[in-house]
Amino acid sequence: MTHHPMPKEYYRLLYELQAVDFVLVELTLYLDTHPDDTQALHEFHQYQRRKQGLTQQFEQAFGPLHEFGNSPVGARWTWAESPWPWQV
Amino acid sequence: MDKQWRFYRPYRSPFDPCVPKRVKAYIVPPNQFMPFQPPGLRTFSPHEALRRGTLWPDLYSRYNPPHREEIDP
Repeated sequence: MTHHPMPKEYYRLLYELQAVDFVLVELTLYLDTHPDDTQALHEFHQYQRRKQGLTQQFEQAFGPLHEFGNSPVGARWTWAESPWPWQV
Repeated sequence: MDKQWRFYRPYRSPFDPCVPKRVKAYIVPPNQFMPFQPPGLRTFSPHEALRRGTLWPDLYSRYNPPHREEIDP
């Protein structure tokens, strides 16, 4: 399942995931020092749900993102196929 | 000019073989003025935050040094 280059959707989903992940990092750092900021906590929940949705969408179309059982593997063992992370 | 940048003129001795720049610049980013981040600050959109490197506009610092000719005539 390696055609060159990957379809547009592949890059779009990764870019969305990257942005959502960055917001989650920032909110995590903020919540570390502001644990009772319920508004920020609510935002964190929202972005967490968005990330789960995007991850599921990506993995259904392009295979697992995480290893060691953290991602659905499906019928074929494909994580070793290209593009590797540095080839994306 | 970006107000986060400040300037000063170092002393230039006539005997100094390696004379310092006429005007030196340093940055005082917004986080220096905010000991503890108040709750409820406005935020960038996710893509904007990723591009700018922070989720909080009030803490954003462009950090592009002033160009040479401007501060070293």
